Parts: sequence; C-alpha cells; structure tokens
Amino acid sequence: MKISKIIIDNLKKGGVDFYLSVPCKLLANMIDILENDKDVYYSAVPREEEGMGICAGAYLGNKFPCIMMQNTGIGNSVNAIVSLLQLYQMPVVFLISYRGTPGEPVGAQGGMAKITEDILQTLRIPMLHCSSENDLEKISTFSKHAKVVESPVAILCDFNLMKDDK
Amino acid sequence: MNRFDLLNKIQNILKDNLVICNIGLPSQELYKINDQPNFFYMLGSMGLSSSIGLGLSLSQNKNVVSIDGDGSVLMNMNTLATIGNRAPSNYTLLIIDNGSYGSTGDQRTFTDENTSLKDVAIGAGCKNVVECSGDETVNELSKAIDDQNNSYVIISKINSGNVKIDPIPLNPITIRDRFRKFMGIVKYL
Repeated sequence: MKISKIIIDNLKKGGVDFYLSVPCKLLANMIDILENDKDVYYSAVPREEEGMGICAGAYLGNKFPCIMMQNTGIGNSVNAIVSLLQLYQMPVVFLISYRGTPGEPVGAQGGMAKITEDILQTLRIPMLHCSSENDLEKISTFSKHAKVVESPVAILCDFNLMKDDK
Repeated sequence: MNRFDLLNKIQNILKDNLVICNIGLPSQELYKINDQPNFFYMLGSMGLSSSIGLGLSLSQNKNVVSIDGDGSVLMNMNTLATIGNRAPSNYTLLIIDNGSYGSTGDQRTFTDENTSLKDVAIGAGCKNVVECSGDETVNELSKAIDDQNNSYVIISKINSGNVKIDPIPLNPITIRDRFRKFMGIVKYL
C-alpha cells in the first residue's frame, strides 16, 4: 500500500483530479485508494481506447485526467492517442503497470513489454520510468509537465516495484 | 429523411448545449449547416464521440449531446456499458442510425441486418433508451435535454445518403480552444 499511496499522492500533487482504470493486479491498491477518495473522480472502464475518449472529454471540461492500465492498453489505444489526444494537444497522464518486466511470472506478458517503450517513443510521448521508490517523487513534476507541453505523458511502473506493495 | 435533413432539424436544439460531433460527414454537415463554437468536431478517433461526451458530462454541469452514428457505436460498444453505469443526468447520446457507413461510401452496417442498438443499450444498462423516427427526433431530443434528472440514449432511425461536402477547414486547436472559450475555460481568444 505504501508505494501505491505515494504514487496517488504525487499524481494529486501534480493536479490530477480525474481517474479511470482498466484493472491490473499491480494497480489494485491504487484503485482501492481512489474508490475511497472523495476529492477526485474515479471510475473503472472496460477498454483503454474508450478511456482515452473519456479523458479527452474530461480535459475539455477542465479536469486533469489520468488513465491507469497495463502496458497492453497502449496497444489498444494508439489511434485514439494520435488522432484525438495528440491532434488536439490534450494533457493526459498514463499510469502504466509495466507487465512483462523482470519479476513477471507470466511469460506471455513479455511480448508487449519488449515493444512498449518503442511504441511510446514512436508516438513521441514523454516517459517516466519508475523502477524504485526513489523515482516516485518525480511523478508530480512529470504530471505538471503534461499540462505545460499539452501532451499525454506516460509513467511506467516496473513489476518488481509494485509486486510487494501489500 | 437522411442525416443532413436531421441535423438541419435539430440544429436549433443544439445551439445552447455542448455538442461532440462524430468524425467525417456528420461533422462536415453540421459545420456546413450552422457552425458554432460549442460544437466539438472530431477529426479522428472514430468510435469515441459517445466516450468524449461522457467524459465531458462527468466533468462539468452543462448539458452535453454526443452525436454518434451506428457504425461508430458498433466500433466502441463497450462504452454503452460505461454510459449505462456512469452517465450523469446532463448526458444525452444521439445515435443517428442510418444502417450504413456513410463517410466511407454507404456500406451496410449490422444495424441494417440483425443488430438492434436499442436492445444493446438496454442490455448494457442504459436508462431512457428511445428509438424513434427522424421526424420524432426533434421532440425526443428536446425532452432529453430539458430533463435535468436523467440521461438518455436516443436512436434515430433514418435513411442513408449524404450530401456533397468539403472537409472542415478549422484546425484542431481552433476547435478545441473556441469550445473551451464557450465554456469559460479559455480566456485568451
């Protein structure tokens, strides 16, 4: 719970006040925290691409949105990221559980893990890669950066950073 | 009645509301009929008009109308479940159902065969799901917008067919900023 709490606290410090998630067991604690947080909006959504659309609407309505998902969700969302969020220059924070990184027990997750950063680089999405607790304090500044540059940004949280966050 | 006729009929109702308009011909036709700063024209991301409108309605109190099409809703049907569970009372989804992919040459969609978006929406948990003719849509849409206590999904069954039209000349940041200025968020225009 400690790591998850630090992440959410830093997102909130960065101004994020609207949260969606497509679940991952590594995000479960954050989802628990958000479901009990009366200061921000939180909802689950069935699919990441749809979440990109809801985040775009939330931005138009003057919220600062974040979508929490596995890295697989980037694969589901490429067109929405390019032809909606980037086309209209909308700041959205992607909080990504980086499945398939070392520590991951499910071999099949390795495929998307191998290409996740390449996809984000191809999309020119700024990345913050969090592999230890020390990295987490950068999240608030990095989130504010999304608003300054009017762009989606991606925060990648390694499997080993999240797995013992009981 | 085709989509252009329908958009002509409902333009006055849309005037005071926040409108998210579907990519392609729906946006181009609405732009040609009566361009307004409170119309957000989609230039990409087919399928997401319903979702963008939902996010907007969750974020502020003004009435929101998402203008969507049958082809687009078929592409993003999962969002009907999100609408069925989360849509606030200021949200109306208007699905212009002409049974065809109008912008790509009027190929038939599955609503022209076995699929009922009304049944799908009801099954997804949407409240106040109304299926009506093009002529009835003006009244149904007015009722939906005026009702401050309920969200609506309106499926307007019309004929396929398009008018000859040009792409929207506005750039995306102009569409974004004048929309947010209408809402009082952007001050610099």
